[in-house]
Amino acid sequence: MLPEVNVMAMSAVARDTVFALRRQIAKIEGTLPERLEAPVAAPADAAKSDMTLVRRGLAVASPDAFLHTGIERLDTALGGGLPRAALSEIHGLETRDAGAVAGFALSLVSLILKEKQGLPILWVGTSEIFHEAGLPYARGLHALFGIEPEQLLFSEAPKLLDALWIAEEAARMTAFAAVILEIRGSPRLLDLTATRRLHARAQNAGRPVLLLRQAGEADPTAAPVRLIVSAAPAASRETVAGPLAGSIGRPAFKVDIGKSRTALPGQFTLEWNPNEHAFAERTENPVAVVPASQRGADPAPAPGAVLAFPAIGSPATGDQPSRQQHPAHRSPRRAG
Amino acid sequence: MISHRDNNTQRIAALDERAEALKLKRGMGIADARAMHPMIDVVEADPEADRRLLEGLADWCDRYTPLVAIDAEDGLFLDVTGCTHLFSGERAMQDEILTRFFQQGFDVRAGLASTPGAAWAAARFHGNRIVALGEEEALLAPLPLSALRIAPETRTLLESVGLRTAGAVMAAPRAPLARRFGATLLLRLDQALGRLDEAVSPRLPVAPLSVERHLAEPVMLTDDIERLISRLAVALKTDLERRGEGARTLALLLFRVDGAVSRIAVGTSRPMREPRLIQRLFHERLTALEQNIDAGFGFDLVRLSVLSVAAFDLVQGDLTGEADDEDADIALFADRVRARLDEAAVLKPVIVESHLPERAVKTVPFAEAPQRRAPAAGRATPRTTPPMTIYPPERPVRLFRSPEPIEVPATEIPEGPPMNFRWRRALYRVARAEGPERIAAEWWRQLPGEEEAPTRDYYRIEDSEGRRYWLYRQGLYSSAPQAAPPRWYMHGVFA
Repeated sequence: MLPEVNVMAMSAVARDTVFALRRQIAKIEGTLPERLEAPVAAPADAAKSDMTLVRRGLAVASPDAFLHTGIERLDTALGGGLPRAALSEIHGLETRDAGAVAGFALSLVSLILKEKQGLPILWVGTSEIFHEAGLPYARGLHALFGIEPEQLLFSEAPKLLDALWIAEEAARMTAFAAVILEIRGSPRLLDLTATRRLHARAQNAGRPVLLLRQAGEADPTAAPVRLIVSAAPAASRETVAGPLAGSIGRPAFKVDIGKSRTALPGQFTLEWNPNEHAFAERTENPVAVVPASQRGADPAPAPGAVLAFPAIGSPATGDQPSRQQHPAHRSPRRAG
Repeated sequence: MISHRDNNTQRIAALDERAEALKLKRGMGIADARAMHPMIDVVEADPEADRRLLEGLADWCDRYTPLVAIDAEDGLFLDVTGCTHLFSGERAMQDEILTRFFQQGFDVRAGLASTPGAAWAAARFHGNRIVALGEEEALLAPLPLSALRIAPETRTLLESVGLRTAGAVMAAPRAPLARRFGATLLLRLDQALGRLDEAVSPRLPVAPLSVERHLAEPVMLTDDIERLISRLAVALKTDLERRGEGARTLALLLFRVDGAVSRIAVGTSRPMREPRLIQRLFHERLTALEQNIDAGFGFDLVRLSVLSVAAFDLVQGDLTGEADDEDADIALFADRVRARLDEAAVLKPVIVESHLPERAVKTVPFAEAPQRRAPAAGRATPRTTPPMTIYPPERPVRLFRSPEPIEVPATEIPEGPPMNFRWRRALYRVARAEGPERIAAEWWRQLPGEEEAPTRDYYRIEDSEGRRYWLYRQGLYSSAPQAAPPRWYMHGVFA
């Protein structure tokens, strides 16, 4: 939902003061400034000429502040995109999701590298996670994400404290395109203070720090954005003769917004295009292992009024979908 | 009194003055000694500990000269050429060394001469004598043969022919001596007399550059040490600049008042001479070592040495001062992490030409990795893609350190992908599979006679929840009745 605040019948001077105050509050809180200009369409109606629509959270900060994922719906839900100079959390619910989490983080890095070509990236992890989930494999990264092996630096620390120190030191440098810190579980060391330090350094350096947490709880952290990533069944490979049955195509991720400044929930299925290094959204599950509606939270309802379509050929009860509406692959199969 | 085991009997190896006063002798059996004097205190000899102690003393002697060598089990050679003036003369230097050792509780004897052989003899037969240049012959002549550093057998032989002093040997004709007693005797003689040079091989490599500071008041705090480091580094910088070099390995030596020496080394991935950066590296190292350095009553000598150098390329900075060299930043970052943690703290993948996935990428420490090329503006073809391959084989984004065994209860067809598998005690149902990609063992690496490693058939698997894995079957199904079924492994995960 988009909370809307109507400021009724305000004189122009008072409105300016309110805006100035809002801006200051936003600055103190470190949140993104809100959209404050009056909608262009509003003055047409004389009765509503002194009414301003303030939509919270939709940022008007400089467009450079965000990394656009290329998926409009996701960018909107995140309030413009993934913040470039910030700490962002990417969660995997289980350690076995490590491949999807790493793949999603690397796709974001790949998007960043489109603009900052040739800059190295640093991957910091504890020995535990590298042992549990494997080391990033340089041969695999090049084909999918265009990351050259010589752009990649690893740092493996036996203890989390050391890993945090390395990440903090790296986060203040501008020489890295991105710093990835990967840990497992919800250690007490990675608390609000530690993440705030990381976030502050990332803000100062203007570089993203991606915090990958495998099998972690949604602990309070200073990161403005938390995405929960898991694997989605891949689409089939595209061939000249159409999709190749039974093949495993491009990587796909299921992304849930766990936390964001705009507080818009959402669930997205993204597919990574390794040729163009871009995301594409998939609206429905092409393989349909399980019905999409039964899994996870419902996606955010689209803003706008709900209109009733005239009923055409649907049964009055409305409980059972019609034959046409019922997908063929979901129809119960009977033997014999 | 110290005993050692010799030929299955405990014998006296060393004894102090009081034991000597009791008429005990070296080499006497412990049982005999106990029978004579039941009160004696016997300690088992520990050559290892003796060696460690001697090394500790050698470290300490580093404060007088960088050229310290250990001589047998009970001696130290110090090459003080060019160092004596720092301690106001030879006599004063020898006295200082002796006094300091005495204060530490050691009974030492010293000899100073222009040849190692003469100094060795002077220390052992003349307590604390300084032998001037040219006096070696006069010094050695009256001494017994053991002053010549020769093997006991040679000495016995020489004594049996009536040559009982070094002077007698010197007076004897050389050719028969060499024929009868070997070349070593004459070599030792010549070395002692200065006719032949004898090199003292130092225990530690000599640093090309070092700067040090003697402190009247010992320092204890890490902050003070760091401040000293930056001052020493400033002095070092001028020397490095004059030589056109930068430091690759630096060592900090902290001499504690009571004789212990701490040696802290840091390495850099590119030549460095900036005092601020050197200080930062040592800051990390000292922070990491804080628990291990015992300042005790403080350090009274701090020395900063450059152990290895490399040519330093001067780079023209631009006028705005904004030309930040990113590679340099990263090199410094890697050095700091390395100083704080260890050599393998920052790793870089290096592509190796190999078919085996685990061998195809090697991770090496950052300092040893080849330097990164400057990013070209328009990179035409990525180097890692073979030009002729239209579809490069798909590789996972994460690879396990070692393939993890999985249980595969059944496959659809004998050589096909699994239907489900158990990995880390969880059951996975295979929804789709691609493959196999057959990777054979590299026979050219095989040692002759070694059994050929089985081939691997790799499958890309997608489980029922959409996760993608890379599994392989090692070996093939065999129709032989007693053949073990092939084993399956999990090797990586895909994005």
